[in-house]
Amino acid sequence: MRRPDIALVPSFQRATSRVVIRRAADYEQDLAAVIYESLRAFDLPVKDKTVLLKPNLVGFDPLCEMNTHPYVIAATRESFLRLGAAQVLIGDGPAMDRDTEAIIESVRLREFTGPLGRTFVDLNLDDVKRVLLSTHASRLKELYLPKTVLGVDFLVSMPKLKTHHWAGVTLSLKNMFGIVPGSCYGWPKNVLHWAGIDNSILDINAASRPDFAIVDGIVGMEGNGPVQGTPKPCGVLVLGDDPVAVDATCCRVMGLRPEKVKYLNAAGTLLGHLDAAKIHQLGETVASARTPFAVLDAFKELRDPGAGVWN
Amino acid sequence: MTPARENLHAANPLSDSAFAMKVCFPFICKAQNGDGGWGYQPGLDSRVEPTSWAVLALRALESSAPSTEISARGLQFLRNAQLANGSWPASAEMRSGCWVTALACWALAADVQARAAVAAGVKWICNDWPRDGSLWRRWRGRLLSHHKIAKQNDSYRGWGWTPQTSSWVEPTSFAVILLAISPIKSLPKAAARRRELARRMLYDRMCPGGGWNCGNPMVYGVAGEPLIVPTVWALLALHDEPDKPEFIMSLDWLEKNLGNARGAGSLALARIGMEVAGRKWPHGAPTIAEMYGRNEFLQNIAVASWACLAACQRHEWLAGGVAECS
Repeated sequence: MRRPDIALVPSFQRATSRVVIRRAADYEQDLAAVIYESLRAFDLPVKDKTVLLKPNLVGFDPLCEMNTHPYVIAATRESFLRLGAAQVLIGDGPAMDRDTEAIIESVRLREFTGPLGRTFVDLNLDDVKRVLLSTHASRLKELYLPKTVLGVDFLVSMPKLKTHHWAGVTLSLKNMFGIVPGSCYGWPKNVLHWAGIDNSILDINAASRPDFAIVDGIVGMEGNGPVQGTPKPCGVLVLGDDPVAVDATCCRVMGLRPEKVKYLNAAGTLLGHLDAAKIHQLGETVASARTPFAVLDAFKELRDPGAGVWN
Repeated sequence: MTPARENLHAANPLSDSAFAMKVCFPFICKAQNGDGGWGYQPGLDSRVEPTSWAVLALRALESSAPSTEISARGLQFLRNAQLANGSWPASAEMRSGCWVTALACWALAADVQARAAVAAGVKWICNDWPRDGSLWRRWRGRLLSHHKIAKQNDSYRGWGWTPQTSSWVEPTSFAVILLAISPIKSLPKAAARRRELARRMLYDRMCPGGGWNCGNPMVYGVAGEPLIVPTVWALLALHDEPDKPEFIMSLDWLEKNLGNARGAGSLALARIGMEVAGRKWPHGAPTIAEMYGRNEFLQNIAVASWACLAACQRHEWLAGGVAECS
């Protein structure tokens, strides 16, 4: 079981976070080696533990433009097994389409990971447990969340690097929408929209904060994401032990200001570090990895004029 | 628990009907929990949705594969799971009802012991209005430009996944099907109006080239992509108007996209949708048995149930009755 007490800590009491940016030009190279070497640097407590990888599986996507690439998922799974994890599960609860099998088949996940019968958990259909929400960021008082998510030892959020037409960006925190079960809340999980997307992101992550984040930014999505945007080659994997710090770093790589993303700015007070000074940056620098992402006009205030790319 | 995979012969794949009888039926029977219900997968807690599909599937197969006692225990679970206000919750721990109420009523429709329960459920459904189509929300939407991002007529109101949220295609379709199979004299006064508004909502939410997704036909000026599952449920809810251009266009979309079905659930439902609308299942289309070989349905009870229902030649289960299966 994961420790709920580390989810909510004021930023000034929280230790410096560590984030690694790794170059990965395409999905042809040895990603398992890149991810394994990166994870080793963190000395993660996963030996003999159960790890759950939570990728972003949004919809039918034969070209892997909107979903976390299956090779990244498989390489991460292999890496955690090499680190001594007893079991590495893959789980998601797609929001728009209840045929989860169709989605994972469309991205050919099985070809990369092997048979999924015992490995994949459809979080939309898992047994649920009532969780009282302590943050009250949204009007939701409680959520019923999958027992698998609540019961694993180590939870890894694995989003794709994308812009989002309601939230600005969708990264490791927004990716956690996928743990909210469709069997209880529907396809889409409309109760979260009514409660406010930004505030729901905070409540969900406070209830089940990822222990680690790995963002597939090899090819991201810009513009009208998370589904109908334009693929954006960015050539990076971003990994870290603090989902807020990882998302903030991703924003900076995208040429966006993390403090202007409403939910991320709020998350920086209790869930992790937003301030670059509190993030120990490893691997590539943000400046060398920076690839400006186009955003919809509704989010033009997110653009970082200091990044020198929007003129 | 694993379905009887040894019954599959890759070199000589079973027909969908034989597959339903040899693999899906025993899988469902073995997966029943001690309380009479089914979880979404074997070994998981009993829930209303998979139990409803399992009961409908077993009843549909009853003439060729008797399972009276198993079905009776399933019905008992459903009767016991009803909340005091007439609704059913998605999970036993939950204290408010939701979209599964229509499914529970549908599964219990032929159960003489459940008439009062079904009547209470139908009444709850007819009183459950989504919030997005209220006069206040529509007036506010006219003032706020961002509400025009999605082009739809909010005066047409269906049902949401959860109370007091927005109308969506699948829960609306389930409720429309339920109201259609319920005896008219047993329905509350509001039922006819609700059904008509909901049908209009379904037509309004159709994607531009036919077919449905969850209920977003157009966002930011970009046409939404239809999906097989909501398309089939909307077609089944509207199948008494087979000559409507929207119905024909959506059926055409379904037929053209059968080859893109990647999940057994989509494929089973597509077969049901095509057959109910009188279209022939094309030669060379993938079989449910072949799909099962990939991931064993991810052990999903609802998908196994849909595979059984797809195997029925006459889809009387859709009208709440017992079908004759091949």
